[in-house]
Amino acid sequence: MWVSWRWLSRWVDTEGVDPVGFAQRFTCTVAEIDRLKRWGFELDAVVVGDVVGVAPHPNADKLRLATVDLGDRQTTVVCGAPDLRLGMRVPFVPVGVTLPSGIVVKDGEVRGVRSPGMLASEADLGLSDNHDGLLSLEGVVAPAGTPLPRAIELGDVLYEVDNKSITHRPDLWGQYGMAREVAAMLGRPLLPLDVTVPLGQGAPVQVEVAAPDACPRYVCARIAQAKVAPAPVDARLLLRRLGVRPINNLVDATNLVMLETGNPLHAFDARQVRGNRIVVRRAAAGETLTTLDGQARTLTPRDLVIADAEGAVALAGVMGGQNSEIQPDTHEMVLEAAAFDAATIRKTAMRLGMRTESSARFEKALDPELPLVAARRFLQTVLAWSPGAVVTSDLLDAGPCRENPPTRVLIRTTTAYLRTRLGVTADELPDAWIVACLQRLAFAVEHTDDGALTIGVPGFRATKDVRIAEDIVEELGRHYGYGRIASAAPLIAARPPFTSPSRVAERAVRAALVLQEGMTEQVLYGFDHEGHRARLALHEHDAPRLGVRNEIAKDLVRLRRNLAPNLLAAAEQVLTTGEGKEPPREGLTVQTFEWGRVFVPSPPRADANDRERAALDLGAPPLALDLDRVGERQGWFTLMDADMRDAVQGTLDADRPLPWQPLRLGVVCGERLGGGAEGSKRVVPERAASQRVFGQALSAVHAAVRALGKPPLQVVPHADVPAAGSMPIAAPDWTTSWRHPRRCVALVTTAGQVVGLVTLLHPDVRNRMQAPAELAVAELDIDAVLALADAVPMGHAPPRQVGSALDITGRIAASTRQADVVAAMTRAIAAAGLPLEQAGYLYEAAQADGSRSVTWRLLCRAADRALVADELARILQVAQATVATFAPVGSP
Amino acid sequence: MDSAPWQADIEAARQHWLAATAGCAQLTALRSVQVECLGKNGAVTALVRRIAEVPPADKRAYGQATAALKAACEAAVAARHAELEAAEVQAELDDDTFDCTIPPQAALSGRPRPTGHLHPLCRVQHEVEAVFSSMGFAVLDYPEVESEFNNFEALNIPSWHPAREMQDTFWLDNGLLLRTHTSSGQVRALHTFKPPFRAVFAGKVFRYESTDASHEHTFHQLEGLLVDRVVSVGHLLDSMRTLLSAILRRQVEVRLRPGYFPFVEPGFELDIQCQLCGGAGCSACKHSGWLELLPCGLVHPQVLRAGGLDPAQWQGWAFGLGLSRLAMMRYAIGDVRLLLGGDLRFLSQF
Ligand SMILES: [Zn+2]
Repeated sequence: MWVSWRWLSRWVDTEGVDPVGFAQRFTCTVAEIDRLKRWGFELDAVVVGDVVGVAPHPNADKLRLATVDLGDRQTTVVCGAPDLRLGMRVPFVPVGVTLPSGIVVKDGEVRGVRSPGMLASEADLGLSDNHDGLLSLEGVVAPAGTPLPRAIELGDVLYEVDNKSITHRPDLWGQYGMAREVAAMLGRPLLPLDVTVPLGQGAPVQVEVAAPDACPRYVCARIAQAKVAPAPVDARLLLRRLGVRPINNLVDATNLVMLETGNPLHAFDARQVRGNRIVVRRAAAGETLTTLDGQARTLTPRDLVIADAEGAVALAGVMGGQNSEIQPDTHEMVLEAAAFDAATIRKTAMRLGMRTESSARFEKALDPELPLVAARRFLQTVLAWSPGAVVTSDLLDAGPCRENPPTRVLIRTTTAYLRTRLGVTADELPDAWIVACLQRLAFAVEHTDDGALTIGVPGFRATKDVRIAEDIVEELGRHYGYGRIASAAPLIAARPPFTSPSRVAERAVRAALVLQEGMTEQVLYGFDHEGHRARLALHEHDAPRLGVRNEIAKDLVRLRRNLAPNLLAAAEQVLTTGEGKEPPREGLTVQTFEWGRVFVPSPPRADANDRERAALDLGAPPLALDLDRVGERQGWFTLMDADMRDAVQGTLDADRPLPWQPLRLGVVCGERLGGGAEGSKRVVPERAASQRVFGQALSAVHAAVRALGKPPLQVVPHADVPAAGSMPIAAPDWTTSWRHPRRCVALVTTAGQVVGLVTLLHPDVRNRMQAPAELAVAELDIDAVLALADAVPMGHAPPRQVGSALDITGRIAASTRQADVVAAMTRAIAAAGLPLEQAGYLYEAAQADGSRSVTWRLLCRAADRALVADELARILQVAQATVATFAPVGSP
Repeated sequence: MDSAPWQADIEAARQHWLAATAGCAQLTALRSVQVECLGKNGAVTALVRRIAEVPPADKRAYGQATAALKAACEAAVAARHAELEAAEVQAELDDDTFDCTIPPQAALSGRPRPTGHLHPLCRVQHEVEAVFSSMGFAVLDYPEVESEFNNFEALNIPSWHPAREMQDTFWLDNGLLLRTHTSSGQVRALHTFKPPFRAVFAGKVFRYESTDASHEHTFHQLEGLLVDRVVSVGHLLDSMRTLLSAILRRQVEVRLRPGYFPFVEPGFELDIQCQLCGGAGCSACKHSGWLELLPCGLVHPQVLRAGGLDPAQWQGWAFGLGLSRLAMMRYAIGDVRLLLGGDLRFLSQF
C-alpha cells in the first residue's frame, strides 16, 4: 500500500521532518517500507496556461496549433493531444526545461511549424504513467502564468508499505491510521477527521439487514442534484499516485475516502435501486450477478449480497454490480458505508478470485464504528466536488452493531509487567511515558500510583489486533525503540542438552559414508516424481502412497514411500551427463546416499503404532521428561480462552493419527558400462561390475550400522528370505519393481527382523536407463536399527600365540556361494578337532569354462600352544577335501 | 485374372523374411536381418522401389502389396525383438552365477576410493545445531507430515485467520498437511519437555508455491524455542546477537522491527547489519545498511496454553531461521533449486 507524506501532513505537523530520513524509523516502528518514491518535484519552470486558440497544423492531421495565454504573453505551440480544446487550462513547459520524465523541451520545428514550448500530460511531467491527453487544470484558480507548484499540490514523498506487514492492522489500511502512528512517533498532536456535513431528513431507502452475522453495520445516505464531472486536479493526482485510476468525481470520492479512512464505500445510482429498498442477505444458491468488471458470477449461500426489491445489485464488500453503477448522467445516488464479516468477504473473494482493494480491507476485520465516519467524509467530499449537490436524507444506521455495540476490550496489566517483558527499568521507561505513548495511539488509559493499568483498546485496534497485555508490550516496544533495549542473558540452569537420537545418528552415518566410504550426500524432494517413475518403470506394485490434494505440478502428486526412486533418477542423470567437466566414460562411478523420511499411509502392522509413537517422540529425553504431562491434552484445553476453544474444537474432533514417517537410509551405487552392440544402451553387465556396485552398496550399509554403534546385520541371500507376507516387517518395501529377484539380500537383525535390503537393479528397470550402467540399491530402516541394543565391544586380552595363515585355492561352480564353502570348511576342520580361528574370502579368478577359482585364507591358532607343521598340513588337507566337493560338475 | 509375376516375388520375399526373422536367436542377428531386409539397401526396400518398373495398370496393386509386405516384416522384426529382449532379461534373471556372499571389501579391492561430499544444507544444519547444542539447546527432530492442529491452531492461527493465506499449504488426501514451517514442532516440544528448556528443531518445510531461482516448494528451516519464568525482549536480543555471531562467525549487530506472526507477541523481523558495507549502505542491503534475516518474537500466550503451560507462570521466545537461505549466503548459491535438485555435478563441489 502506498502512503502519501503530503496527505499525512494534513493531520500531523511534519514541519522539520525529512520524510526520506524518517523512513528508516517508520520501518522499525510501524511497518516495512519496500520502496520510497519522490513525486512531483523539479517542476518550478512549468506554468499554468490558458488555451485561447486552436488551429489545424498545416502539414499534419493529428497535430494542432495551440495558442496559449501565459499571463504576461501568448505563444503558439504544436500539440498532438486529442483532447486539446479551446478554453482549457493546461500545464505549459517553456523552452530550455528538462522535465523529471527526461523530456528536454527545445525550440524546434514540428513538421515545419516552430513550437517554442509544449503542453504536458501527466506522464510528461513524471506525475504518473498516464499519457492519455493533457493534464487538465480545470478548476485551478491561480492566474495564467503561475508556476505549477504554486497552482496545484505538488511535491510528495510516497512510502510503499509491504502489505504483508500490516495484515493484522486494519487501521493502517487508511492514510489516517498511518498519520496516527506518525503523530505518535513525533509526539505531535493528531488533528481529528472533520466529519461535519449538513444532513437532510428521513430515510434514504428502506434497509433490511437480513444477515446480521455477516453485516454488523450498514450505513446509508442519499444525495441529489449531483453532477458527474472530473474530480479536482489535486484529488485526481493524489488517487493516481496511490495507485487508483480516477474515473469521475462521484466514484473518485468513494475511492478517496476509502484510501483515507480504510473503509471501502459503494455508491449506487438511486434510479437503479428498485423498490427503493436495500436488503443485505446471503445469496441464494445459483443466484447470478454481473459485476462491474463485466463477469457473470454464480453465487452460493456463503456469499453476501446487497439486493434491491428485485435482486442482487452488488457483491457485498467485493465489487458492485453492473446494473447499479454510477452512469455519466447519474444525479441522485445512494451511498453505502458498511462493516462486513471479514471471513465471509475473504472466502467469497478467494472463491471467485476477486481480490479487490475493497475485499483486501474488509478481510482485515474493520472497526464497525468506521462506516459512520467514512459516510460523512464521503458526503462532505461530494458536496465539495459537485456544487449544487445536497444530502436529502438523514444518515441511516442499520445492522446489529447500533443496538449491541461490540464489547469494549479492556486490558488489565501493570507497568512493571510491561517493563519486565521488554527488559527495561523504570528509569528507562517511566510510567508517565507509557501512559502518554498509549494515549497518543488512542488507547484509553487509567493508571494508579502503584503502576496498575486499565487500558481501553480503541475500536479500530480491537477487532482482531490488540487483546492481551503482550500486545501492549509490542506497542510500547516499537515506539520506545527496540534498539534502545539492553540485552540480557536468559537465566537457565546449566545442564547437558538433550539431542534427538535421530540427529546424533545422522551425523555419525554421514561422517562414515562421506569420509570413509567416499559417498556423496543427497537431499531430495519428499515427493515422488511420477514422470521418472513411469519412464524407469519404478513402482512398489500396489503399496499405497500418500497423495497431495493440491499438487504443484502433475508429476508431484504423491509422497515418496521409498528413497530409491529419487536417488536412482539422480544417479541416472550423472551417469548420462558425466561428472563435472568430464564427459561420461566407461567406468564412471556414482556412490550416493540420502538420509530422510518416507511416508507410509497406514502402519503396516498393529504394533507399528508403537513404532510410530517412538519415531514421533524421538525428541523425548528420558530424563528431563515430565511424564505427567506427556500426551495430556485436557490441561491446555482449559487454559484456552473461549473463542480459541471454539476455533479448535472442530480440529480436535478430526484429530487423525499421523501416518508412519520412518527415517531411512537410501544408497545407490552405479557404474557406467561400455556401450552395447552398435551403441545400444542395452548391455548385460559383466559379473565383476555387478559384484563391485553391489559390494559398494553393501559396504555402505555395514559402515552405517557400525557408525550407529549397532551389531552387524546378517546378510541373508534372497533365496533364504521367507515369502514377503511372512516378513517380520514390511518396510522398506521388499516387493518393488527395481529389486532384482535373485541378486539381492535382506539385512536381518539377530532377532530375525528384516530392517533393510541390498539389491542390484532389476534388468527391466536398468535397461530403461539413458546410459548403459549397472546399479545397486540399498535401503535401511533407521528407526528399527536405532531400536537395537548397542554393540558393546569386549575387552579380551590379545592372543599370546602367533597364528598361522594358510591360503587355499580351489575351483568351484559359478553358481556356488563362496560363503557356503567357507561354512563347510569351518565345520569340517572343527569336526576333525583342529584349531581354526577364522576363514575368509581373499580373491578369485574367472576360468575359461565359466567356473571360478577362489582363494580363501585360513587363520589357525590355538590358545595354549604354537601349532606344529603337522597340524597345519592336516588343516590344509581337510580344507582342500572340502573345497573339492564344490568343484564344478565334470571337472577333473 | 492371371496373377502378375511380381506377386510371386512378393510372396516369396514374405516367406523368406518372416522365416529369417523367426530364426534369429540373438538380438545381434536380428539386427542384421533387419538391415538386410528393411535397411536402406535392404531386399524389401528394393522391392518397394521397383514400382517404377511395373506397368501403369499394376502400380496401384503393386504399391499396396509391397506396403503390406513391408509392414508385415516390420511387425515381425518388432515382435521378435520384444521376444528376444524378454528372453535376454529372463536369461539374466535365471543366471545364478552372482555371489552375494563375497565380502564387499574383496569385491572392491583394487578400486580407488572416491572422494565423498557433504550436502551443503546438511553442512549448514549441523554447524548451526552444533552451535546451539554447545549453548545448551536440545536438538530435536519432528515429522514432516503434520496435523492442522500442530501447524496452525496450536500456533494461534485458527481457520479464519488471514495468516493461513500467507502459508500456502500442501494438503494431503488423508486430511493432514505437509508442515509449512518448523514452528509446527513448538507445541510438540512444549508438551514433551519440562520447563524451563530450550530447543532447536530443523528440517524440510513445504509451501504450495511456484518455483524460481529464489522460491522453492520444499526448503529447510530451523526453529528455536526457549521457555523460562521471565523472558523479555532484552533476553531475545541478547540470545539472537550471541547465537547469530556464533553461526555467522563474526560479531553481528542486530535490530528488531515490528513483524506480524500470530504465534509470537510482540513479533519481530530481525535484521542484521550488512557485512559488506558495515551498515553504511550498499547495493546488497538496498542502501539501508541492514539485511532481513529471520522472524522472531516472544511466544504468544495462546501457544503456551496449547502446549499445556500457564502463561502466568511461563514465558518464552521463538525464532525461525531459513537454513536454505543461510546455505545460499554461505556458499554463494544463486539458485535455490540447486539445493534439492540432486545434480551430483553441483554437489561434488562441497
Ligand atoms: Zn550493505
